[in-house]
Amino acid sequence: MTQTKKRFTLALTLLIALTMVLSACGGGNNNKNNTAGSDKTNENKGSDNSGKTEEPVELIWYTIGTPQKDVDKVMAEVSKYTAEKIGATIKMTMLDWGDYDQKMKVLTASGTPMDILFSSSWALDYVQNARKGAFLPIDELLTTHGQDIVKTLDPAFLEGSKVDGHNYGIPANKELPAQEVWRFNKNLLDKYKLSLDGVTSLESLEPLLKAIKEKEAKVVPFAMNKDYLPVVPYDYIIQNLPMAISIDSGDYKVINVLETPEMKKALTMMHKYYMAGYISPEASTTTSLDDLQKSGNWFLDRAATQPLADNLWSINYGYPVVSTAASDSIVYNWSVMGSLQAISANSKYPEKAMEFLNLLNTDPVLRNMIDSGIEGVHYKKVGENRMENLPEADNYNMPTFSLGNIMLTYLNEGDPDDKWEQFKTFNAAGKPAPTLGFNFDSSKVTSELAAVQNVKGEFWSALMTGTVNPDEYLPKAIEKFNAAGLDKLIAEAQRQIDEWRAAAK
Amino acid sequence: MSKNKTKTRDFQRLSPAWNIVFNIIAAVVAFVCVFPFLFVLIISFTDENTLAKNGYQLIPEKWSVEAYRYIIETGESLMRAYSVTIFITVVGTIVSLIFITLYAYAISRKSFKYRHFFSFVALFTMLFNGGLVPTYIVVTQVLHLKDNIWALILPMTVNAFYIMIMRTFFSTMIPDAIIESGRIDGASELQTFVRLVLPLSLPGIATIALFNTLGYWNDWFNALLYIDKPGLVPLQAMLMRIESSMQFIMQNSTNASLNTGILQTMPQDTSRMAMVVLATGPIILAYPFFQRYFVQGLTVGAVKE
Amino acid sequence: MNMLGRFFRDIIKNKAMLLMVLPGTIWFFFFSYLPMAGTIISFKEYRYSRDGFLASILESKWVGLDNFKFLFSTNDAYIITRNTVLYNGAFIILGLIFSVGLAIILSEIINKRLSKSYQTAIFMPYFLSWVIVGYFVFSFLSLDKGLLNQILSYVGIDPINWYSESKYWPYILVMINMWKLIGYNSVIYLAAVIGIDKSLYEAAMIDGANKWRQIRHITIPMLIPLMTILTLLAVGRIFYADFGLFYQVPRDSGMLYSVTNVIDTYVYRGLKTSGEIGMSTAAGLYQSVVGFTLVILSNYIVRKFNKDNALF
Repeated sequence: MTQTKKRFTLALTLLIALTMVLSACGGGNNNKNNTAGSDKTNENKGSDNSGKTEEPVELIWYTIGTPQKDVDKVMAEVSKYTAEKIGATIKMTMLDWGDYDQKMKVLTASGTPMDILFSSSWALDYVQNARKGAFLPIDELLTTHGQDIVKTLDPAFLEGSKVDGHNYGIPANKELPAQEVWRFNKNLLDKYKLSLDGVTSLESLEPLLKAIKEKEAKVVPFAMNKDYLPVVPYDYIIQNLPMAISIDSGDYKVINVLETPEMKKALTMMHKYYMAGYISPEASTTTSLDDLQKSGNWFLDRAATQPLADNLWSINYGYPVVSTAASDSIVYNWSVMGSLQAISANSKYPEKAMEFLNLLNTDPVLRNMIDSGIEGVHYKKVGENRMENLPEADNYNMPTFSLGNIMLTYLNEGDPDDKWEQFKTFNAAGKPAPTLGFNFDSSKVTSELAAVQNVKGEFWSALMTGTVNPDEYLPKAIEKFNAAGLDKLIAEAQRQIDEWRAAAK
Repeated sequence: MSKNKTKTRDFQRLSPAWNIVFNIIAAVVAFVCVFPFLFVLIISFTDENTLAKNGYQLIPEKWSVEAYRYIIETGESLMRAYSVTIFITVVGTIVSLIFITLYAYAISRKSFKYRHFFSFVALFTMLFNGGLVPTYIVVTQVLHLKDNIWALILPMTVNAFYIMIMRTFFSTMIPDAIIESGRIDGASELQTFVRLVLPLSLPGIATIALFNTLGYWNDWFNALLYIDKPGLVPLQAMLMRIESSMQFIMQNSTNASLNTGILQTMPQDTSRMAMVVLATGPIILAYPFFQRYFVQGLTVGAVKE
Repeated sequence: MNMLGRFFRDIIKNKAMLLMVLPGTIWFFFFSYLPMAGTIISFKEYRYSRDGFLASILESKWVGLDNFKFLFSTNDAYIITRNTVLYNGAFIILGLIFSVGLAIILSEIINKRLSKSYQTAIFMPYFLSWVIVGYFVFSFLSLDKGLLNQILSYVGIDPINWYSESKYWPYILVMINMWKLIGYNSVIYLAAVIGIDKSLYEAAMIDGANKWRQIRHITIPMLIPLMTILTLLAVGRIFYADFGLFYQVPRDSGMLYSVTNVIDTYVYRGLKTSGEIGMSTAAGLYQSVVGFTLVILSNYIVRKFNKDNALF
């Protein structure tokens, strides 16, 4: 009995040791192959420089979105096209929405080889990573290999995505300014025959909210989550931190936005709404409004818009949604940075990468292949710039906005013919924010920033959603912010802004 | 044997009154612990819109299997993910047990001259760690385990906490006389360990095996870091990916420019619960398997005498 | 020469044991000690280099102790340290009492089948992630839909907005943590109780000791080594807080920060915008050094009483 047991244990140990050794060897081999492969491509690069030759280089592209089954298949097709056009093939790795930021942080910090990567103001923070040296500065490459991009894009895109005077990424040509709207559940509007005439300011919502509160006990009149921020005419230096510059006055003076009369007025109004029961008592800890949106038990909320957004929302929710402007249309740094493609600092072929990005942003054939897959397999064309999805499209369903110039993509069923014209009009209407092109460098004040962020967490949502009385809590918050070093941050921001303006002159 | 058993019962018995008190305490604690689980099960079968309208209910207005359908369709292949998980759990637990018990046994032996040193080597790793990026570099660039199933097994093989627990089990449960008797019989250290020590340490080993099994079963982070190949993604990593992406999309749903177009098909709340059911259902069944050894330790103790 | 000779003789004498620790030691080298070199980042302003990770570390500039400043320079420093230490202290003490108590209760219950069912049950909360636990706590404490407020209003007490009343949270958090982890810990103790040599009890029986005396004089003393080790290990992690418990469960509610902000949540919130790897590594190093010091100290004290119970 024990003898067999012993033999068994011994055999098991041996087996495991063997597998480990084997797998280690396997890993080693793989690696050898890899290095051999990259050596080869390096040679190619050499020969590429010396004279035009055959073997195309492989560009590694990391982008955001739920991984699709047919990515490799489509990229093989894309590679055929790009190999011919620019002598490069494409290897695309998709990382899912929720994973992208976390995983890319590790990949960039550890120097994993890659050429092109998606960046933005909301995932893999563009400014932060540009400053840390994750991306290659592309000012020069833009003029040598990316001329067509410069021609296609609204100049505000490249201006607004400058970090310390340099460009590090190609913004996707899409909606440029940010505009806030009040969204309404149209079913309720119609039911009580409420009119949206004259509704723009926070105050003007009151009669509507009151009407709903009285008649619909189950409906949340004013839905919001913890990120809600009243519209005030100030341009924030860092999103959601109270340092800002007045948008209208043009004085470029950094102030604490909590000390402004506009903010005080807005918060007082919010608190009034809160006390009247228009706002959910849990607003300051709510992260998602999904429940309300699914059940339709909301009347009003606020959202960022773009052309044709009402249609999009209505389709998404399954009932009609209408909206009306809540703020001016303004081009902020962060609105410009909604979606960018950057070239990795460790890219082996930066020129090729730029050539590819140039093509991606100007060539409709390539752009639509990346967006919708292979013609005849994933989609079919039904007009000059119109397409229809085929059943196979489910295996290649890509987020359009994250893959370059959206205005080259074919129109889908239900899109109006002038969709992109509407985008252009929308973009032209945007007014540049005072700090467009300025990005705060926090490296000298990181300790203060950490402390201020914690104070922000403590007070921000409660104040902004009207949950607490601003008469009592606003002075408390201001005091704590100052104790945490906000004044130091403001002074540093002021210094940098002055420098930036002096340099711009 | 049976005579032994009755005897065992005799000296073990608690007075009936106290037995009832103990049962009540344990039952209350058990109920509090199980109740949320029943709730999870119910919610996972609730219709998403009913849930949005009514909130959590013990008996929902409308039942639905939509959440499970959504997960099965979204995840590439549930079955393959299960098999990856089962493989890493079984192999990982066995490898872990070998590493941990050998190490723990050695440092539990008073005759081992360097036991303090090696205890410290292990303990130190519990208190200090190099952080995420350096670990990532070692696994991918030194050990070259990227997209390799061992990247899901090796990073979790040894755990100083378990070594310390195991060491305590060895030093308290194994009388020196046993090891001495092995030596007199002329057995080697390894033979003594396998033949005499291990059978007596079964409750301890079962505990560590249980923890290891759960550790491997629940791990998703290593897969997030090291695995890109869809064929090697374990269950928890797959579910975690669906969950975190769902949350991300929800939180950005009011921003029209980040439209991802899949909002209306997502049963968020119910599928979150369905994921818990899918992920924990099978492993809960594994618990009684380890429990067996808890009793076995007891009989060994009785027989030994 | 003599010393070297003795060294080799020792190696040969301990050959079997050394072979046993070898696999583990190799593992520790690759997965723990090698990455530990990365701790150097905590003294640097980490910037990426084109030439990979090593070059990045070498080329980044030294900043001395600057990366540690944010942990101490604020008014919150006291609050987060106090919260972390007090909560962990409570978890250690209460956890010890409850897990040992529960382990003994489970081992004494006469009907073994029932006892096994209880065991399985108390282990289950361990499977739920903090996110899910957060949802349940919310379903109990929510202002309008929450179960607890419904009960309160039924009894005639005004509903409480739990997520803005910080005074209840220390109790809530301790309770939830106990609920989630007690099963896990009592399994360890249960295994130890079962492993106790039965002849000890028989001897006690012959001496006429009743069940209570057996528990007091055999079971508990036999568990002391394990209790000591587990407590020492917990002390080493006293500066680490369970992020999920303090972030997900209170729903990151600002009004509760005075009792829910701990070192880990402070670091998380503070570094969200700047994303400095150097600073997060520094925070980890700080937690480790404090834990290490405390373990060395308490281990020293334990050694004074009983050498065998100490960690090393």
